[in-house]
Amino acid sequence: MSLLYYGALVPEEEAGLLRHLDSCRSCGLEWDEFRRCLDAATPETVFPREAEVDWSEFARAAVARARAAEAARPATAVAAGWVAVPVPARFALLAAAALVAVLLWNTGLRPGGEPGGAPASPDSGVGGPPLVSLLESAHAMQDRLARRGAARYLRDSRAVLVNLVGPAAPCRKAGGQYDITLEKEKSRQLLRRMNLYEGGLGALEDQRLSTLVRQLESVLMQVAALDDCASARQIHDLREQIETRQILLRIDLVTREMEGRADVV
Amino acid sequence: MEADDFTLMEQVRRGSPGAFETLVERYQRRLYRLACGYLHNHEDALDAVQEAFVKIYLARQSYRPSAHPFTWASRILANRCIDQIRHRRVRPEQSLDEAQETRPGRGPLPLPSSEESAQTRQERRELRCVLQGAIDTLPPRQREIFMLRHFGEMRLEEIAKALGCALGTVKSSLHRAAAAIRDHLARTDPAFRSPKGESS
Repeated sequence: MSLLYYGALVPEEEAGLLRHLDSCRSCGLEWDEFRRCLDAATPETVFPREAEVDWSEFARAAVARARAAEAARPATAVAAGWVAVPVPARFALLAAAALVAVLLWNTGLRPGGEPGGAPASPDSGVGGPPLVSLLESAHAMQDRLARRGAARYLRDSRAVLVNLVGPAAPCRKAGGQYDITLEKEKSRQLLRRMNLYEGGLGALEDQRLSTLVRQLESVLMQVAALDDCASARQIHDLREQIETRQILLRIDLVTREMEGRADVV
Repeated sequence: MEADDFTLMEQVRRGSPGAFETLVERYQRRLYRLACGYLHNHEDALDAVQEAFVKIYLARQSYRPSAHPFTWASRILANRCIDQIRHRRVRPEQSLDEAQETRPGRGPLPLPSSEESAQTRQERRELRCVLQGAIDTLPPRQREIFMLRHFGEMRLEEIAKALGCALGTVKSSLHRAAAAIRDHLARTDPAFRSPKGESS
């Protein structure tokens, strides 16, 4: 019956089954009940919030976002190059990078460490520190750098969003109402920066941060895809998104938390 | 005349003006329903669909016409949703949006239409709960197949290709899923009990 309902029977099978359903009362009732249940599962019933979405606006935003992502692609050429490197070579490069980072760390970059190459702790002298502690400190440094980078990225993004939410500058060109040249350029820069941080941000495995960064990326892409002179409607839509998703508040919370954690690490 | 999906996808690959916009408009609601099936969250589903469209656009040159464009798009979306679910498992934090949704009175509520009585609204809400409960009780593979067919309107052959399984598996899973939903509705909602069952 399910195959009949979904039109997946060949015509002969379908005709045969329909004939049987007409002639057999018990199967006919069963078919009616079956159909009634599946008919009830309409998109309007199961996904009631689908009707709340302005789908033409959603399509415009999706297209703008896709175009902006392609426009920002040259910035990810480094990442593409990385993908092209064979896996063993990637491990070798990573190991070399970690070693260099650890050496730099132990020769003066560490807070409180003596500049000029002298090791900061007495037990890291002649024989060198054990491999485990080297790897641990490399990991801790990577984590701290990723958090600092993400916090800086969030702070700068917040400044752009605050500009958008605040009183907008009138546009001098014809056809637009608000001048968003600065916000647009800043959004592009931030998107390029995010591409560079992406690996580090992924390593944090922080669901709240990654959700926020994704939503922020969506807003920044929409800003980057606008004309220099935006319409009141476009600005209104962006403000609504920022407000509905409480992006500014969440940036504050996450940034504060990350900065707190960065001090602990 | 409207271009079929294959022609449209070819136009997207060639960069014809307006082709990608048409593709987005054609697929967005079906993909949203699929994303809801995976993520059970309206905002997350919308985000996942947007991200899927970005990936579709960036990867348009790698599309091969051996698969239906919607099959290809739905796989990209499914991978995005699965990644998101994995992230949730690593850090099962409730998003602010979700928290808002689950707290009565906090979130923006849809305005009731004036023609609809309170009783009809309540009945609709109850039916939605029962249906969602029925869909949620399905095993993941059956649920995926049911969502792809019932809400994604994909043909069974396309589903088999998309999921990399035999057509027979799709047919039997769909049959089991539909029967389980029917049973669940009949058990939990008196309106769906058959007159046959009542008389016995």
